[in-house]
Amino acid sequence: MTLFHRSLWFLASLALLVGLIWGWQILADARVLPRAFFPGPDLTWRALKRGVANGSLLSDTLTTLRRMALGWALASLIGVALGAFVGTSAWARVWIAPMFEALRPLPASAIAPVAMLFLGLTDTMILTLIAFGALWPMLLTTVHGFSNIHIRRREVATSLGLSRSAFITKIALPGALPDIMGGLRLGLTIALILVVVGEMVTVQGGLGARILLAARAFNAPEIFAGIAVLGVIGLLTNAVLSLVETYALRWQRR
Amino acid sequence: MSLSEHATSAMDAPRDTVLTVQEASVRYGATTVLKDLSLSLNRGEFVCVIGPSGSGKTTLLRLLAGLLTPVSGSVDFRGQPHRAPSRDIAIVFQDYTNALLPWRDAEGNVSLALEAAGVPRAERRDQIHALLRTVGLVGSEGKFPAEMSGGMQQRLQIARCLAQKPDVLLMDEPFGALDAMTRQKLQDELLGIVAESQVTAFFVTHDLEEAIYLGDRIIALEPNPGRVSQIFDVPLPKPRNQLTTREMPEFLRLRRQLFDFIERYEQ
Repeated sequence: MTLFHRSLWFLASLALLVGLIWGWQILADARVLPRAFFPGPDLTWRALKRGVANGSLLSDTLTTLRRMALGWALASLIGVALGAFVGTSAWARVWIAPMFEALRPLPASAIAPVAMLFLGLTDTMILTLIAFGALWPMLLTTVHGFSNIHIRRREVATSLGLSRSAFITKIALPGALPDIMGGLRLGLTIALILVVVGEMVTVQGGLGARILLAARAFNAPEIFAGIAVLGVIGLLTNAVLSLVETYALRWQRR
Repeated sequence: MSLSEHATSAMDAPRDTVLTVQEASVRYGATTVLKDLSLSLNRGEFVCVIGPSGSGKTTLLRLLAGLLTPVSGSVDFRGQPHRAPSRDIAIVFQDYTNALLPWRDAEGNVSLALEAAGVPRAERRDQIHALLRTVGLVGSEGKFPAEMSGGMQQRLQIARCLAQKPDVLLMDEPFGALDAMTRQKLQDELLGIVAESQVTAFFVTHDLEEAIYLGDRIIALEPNPGRVSQIFDVPLPKPRNQLTTREMPEFLRLRRQLFDFIERYEQ
């Protein structure tokens, strides 16, 4: 696609977004639902501005971002390391991989009460929750990437006399990177969901707690403001990761 | 006569041998792929291997590479039992796409061999450039394999193999996937490289004329189970020339003999 076409499509999707917000305003003004439960973009915007002015929105956003990033990084580290081990070892594939299949479908939010019992209402509990939930896509894609190394690459490695660690860092890991990047993106989405769940359970600051408290105070504009910020976080973190992916896999586009 | 009819002729060559196979058999499950095969490679010679499909050409190459171990018999490399791949034996695979690393550019792919051999970073750059010059890839240092033609990618793989500073260069139909013009050009370049580096070359091909053009000796394998059928000496003068060598009576006579040999199995 040419640059012209791409900017055209970007403008079109932007126009759609503006249209949707405008429609939202019309619905809110028509009082389809009580204004106290369903504020329009105008009230939401006012709540956002208020939050920014008194600094609370910014500090909550940063808290949520920090937890999300730490939990996701933890999940990535464990997922890729464990996945590399299982993917390169035939023994581990037989003995450990089936266990993943049993644990993977477990909804991570169901783990929240258990994590709470053991770790209390702490940051550690939130990070554990995120790490547990976001681990699976990274683990499974890494196992897949590592167990699908072309036989020729293994032969090249043995004929060059590459050590096992050099084989992993120089051949297996870069070869599995396209799969791993997909897992990292899926994990990021899950991390955002679980940071909100964790914050709503612990109520120790952050956007999740902010939304929960606003709901208890029947402060609908504040809820919508929090949701809007979460939407922007999802959009931006995903965009940043896409950029990283484009750079890391630039050899694929040739 | 240059034609030696008996399969064991390689055995009584007392010259400086690099790789020796004695009575080796290879089996995949119940099928015997190679049976009691004997052969030796002399230092600096260019040996080509031909044979109908199923005669175990690639298996023989993998045996020499140390990627396979025989169920009986032995393989010796420089007088020692050869059981695992060695850095001194380089392999040029036919499927260069899988053999090269797509995420490394030309320099990076050659560098892999130097990294494996523990060459210090500071010395790599000069060596890489010299190797890329040898295979005619100057100006493509920063290109990724996907940006190169098939011929260039195969040149790159050869450069990586030369980076191993091998005693033996094993090639498994390396030019099989290339067009005729590129193939002839690479044949000449390969002859030049082998002559200069004094490496021992072992070249599997299904192209009979290519075998004559490149080889000092041609080993003809027959199938079911794979074994040495005949060994042809190639007394053509060097350096060879794509036009004049291919017109020589000796070339045409060998061509006739090899075609007659292959035809027996292609019915």
